[in-house]
Amino acid sequence: MKKNFNFCIVDDDDIYQFTIKKTIQSLNYAKSVLAFSDGEEALQFMMDNISNEEDLPDIILLDINMPIMDGFQFMDEFIKIKPKLSKKITIYMASSSVDETDIKKAHQISEISDYIIKPIKQGKIKSIIEVYLNDKEETE
Amino acid sequence: MKANLNPVTIAIIAINNDNVIYQFNEGAEKLLGYSASELLGKKKSNFFILDEEYEKFKKDIASKYKIKTSDFNPYKILAQNDDYDAREWTIVKKDGTRFIAHSTLIPLKSDKGENVGFMRILKNITDLKKIENDLLRKNQVLNAAEKITMMGNWQWHTVINKVEWSSNLFNIFGVDPKENLNFETYFSFVHPEDKEKVSISFEKSIKDKKFYDLLHRIKLKSGKTKTIQLLGEVVLDEDTGEVIELIGTCQDVTEQRMAEIKFRGLLESAPDAMVIVNDFGIIQLINKQAEKLFGYSSQELINKPVELLIPNRYKDKHSTHRDLFFSAPIAKKMGEGRELYGVNKAGKEIPIQISLSPLKTEEGLLVSAAIRDITVQKKAENKILEANERLEVLANKLTAQNTQLADFAQITSHNLRAPVSNLNSLMGFYKMAETEEEKILAFEKFEIVIHHLTDTLNTLIEALKTKNRTSIPVEKLDFNEILNKTVQILSGQIISTNTKINSNFENVTNINYNRAYLESIFLNLLSNAIKYKSEDKDPEIYVFSVLEDGAVKLKFKDNGLGIDLERHGHKLFGLNKVFHRHPDANGVGLFMTKVQIESLGGTITVESEVNVGSTFSVNFKE
Repeated sequence: MKKNFNFCIVDDDDIYQFTIKKTIQSLNYAKSVLAFSDGEEALQFMMDNISNEEDLPDIILLDINMPIMDGFQFMDEFIKIKPKLSKKITIYMASSSVDETDIKKAHQISEISDYIIKPIKQGKIKSIIEVYLNDKEETE
Repeated sequence: MKANLNPVTIAIIAINNDNVIYQFNEGAEKLLGYSASELLGKKKSNFFILDEEYEKFKKDIASKYKIKTSDFNPYKILAQNDDYDAREWTIVKKDGTRFIAHSTLIPLKSDKGENVGFMRILKNITDLKKIENDLLRKNQVLNAAEKITMMGNWQWHTVINKVEWSSNLFNIFGVDPKENLNFETYFSFVHPEDKEKVSISFEKSIKDKKFYDLLHRIKLKSGKTKTIQLLGEVVLDEDTGEVIELIGTCQDVTEQRMAEIKFRGLLESAPDAMVIVNDFGIIQLINKQAEKLFGYSSQELINKPVELLIPNRYKDKHSTHRDLFFSAPIAKKMGEGRELYGVNKAGKEIPIQISLSPLKTEEGLLVSAAIRDITVQKKAENKILEANERLEVLANKLTAQNTQLADFAQITSHNLRAPVSNLNSLMGFYKMAETEEEKILAFEKFEIVIHHLTDTLNTLIEALKTKNRTSIPVEKLDFNEILNKTVQILSGQIISTNTKINSNFENVTNINYNRAYLESIFLNLLSNAIKYKSEDKDPEIYVFSVLEDGAVKLKFKDNGLGIDLERHGHKLFGLNKVFHRHPDANGVGLFMTKVQIESLGGTITVESEVNVGSTFSVNFKE
């Protein structure tokens, strides 16, 4: 398996960040794991690296409830900068919220591949990465 | 000579046995139009009378003296019997015109007692006859009128106790018109139950020399009962001033009485209170239900203004409404859509419903008002309204509780599920840990999550306690005192950040509130204002109280970082919501502040601009 993609976590929960990082590292798939505490930090990073294909994330696990800029606000901004991005970014919304309105709202955004309810098991991370890699192979 | 003495012209014509006129006086000349000269000595018989009347006269004589043949001279019969004849004759004048005369036919006798002829004395009675006819006709009209109106007239000569009745009165009493009448005749017909009333009334009429109208029943010989009404007058002797005569009318009012009884019955059987009023608003008639409803007897109300039954505050308007009704009288409900009240004798107001309908009577247009006591309906209505209000309150409470439940769901979803899912993940990590180092790391993380979870649970428990507290003790609290206390608690931060705090509580100096809550509000809002201070400005906080729309408001205005309300406004007061990357931001303070304020019926709002500052406004319950 080629380590040719960047995994990204946007979540204000340190422990969550820690556990996901550990999971991905143990799977030994990704080139790197990026972690941001809120949407604004993540957005800032993407703006700074807008044409730096190498460092931009390929898969993002996006939390909803975060300070400064929450997951939906991040999506609003992401859709605005999307045309300028040089590569396709897969986004999963991951939240402990079981609120129907959040789930519906997430499904209405076409840029979001799926809504995952926390906690995220290791197997789920694995399948997300596998789906991504299959898609990539098909397009290549 | 006689003619000169009497203005009435008397004609005297004398005829001998040979029918030769030998006397024809001046009066005869005048009445018959012939001159004496043209008749005296002439043999003429019956030239100024009608043949048919002569034949009638002849027949009368024949019948009187039982003469079987028609061949006789009636004049001679009269003379033979030493009789005379007086009757009315139609007289034909010389010019052919006629008049009615009273004629007396007297046989003339000689000194020897022999019949020598006849004398006819004529008197023109045409005028008299006319008067008599008039009288007769008028009497007929009166009789007809009395028959139609079922009325009669009577006279009672009290001195001789003689009673006269008109013919229709005989009909009314069912008495033979030939009967001789006195007061006792009349009194014998008076209904046994009314006898006392009648005799008292007549005694009183005679004593007071004034006739008291009388309504009573009579019982006829046939057994039939009638109701009669007597109206009358007394006639006094001109000299003595004593009552000599009572005259009056008597009307059979049985049918009217029956109609009235029926109407009364109808009125009394109506389920509603009925009040009948004329166009001046004077009460004419009320039924028992109305007596019961208003607490007056009918005597107390009849001939009194209907406004007596209307509360003072409606009186002025009522007369206008009444005039309006009489100008366009149609049956309708009164005061449609408005609440109407009547007032009873005790002055108590009664909620009522009124239906009006016009009533055409001989006395003019009346209005009958059917009045229904709606106290019970009103009570039921009020009960429903009250229940409705209670339901509304309950619904509001439920809505509030629902909102709180939604809040709570949100809290459990995020604030509880997140750390629990973290514990699960850490558990997985711990199990897979290969080195002791990794296990220690996992335990460190466990500790953080458990600590966080404990804090969250404590906050939630506190919030739930606050929300569920049914009676929160309140006391009169001075804003200045609480501010000073808060400033003392925060003095370290205030000094280190060089914060300036100004206040103005002149508008409202104090409030009845829970001490702990108010202290918590001051502490949270002031410490927030210091915590989220601008990076390049010293914090300046202005705390002041105002009275807006009758509600006390406490405002905290700062010059700090401000909050992007468009982004964060909806979750500003949520649990564990933070909007700044501040190391001490934990998202608990505003959440608890809001819970406390709401538990006492207030609200908290915020106005803010990024990099300019925020103003938090605590709106206490009105």
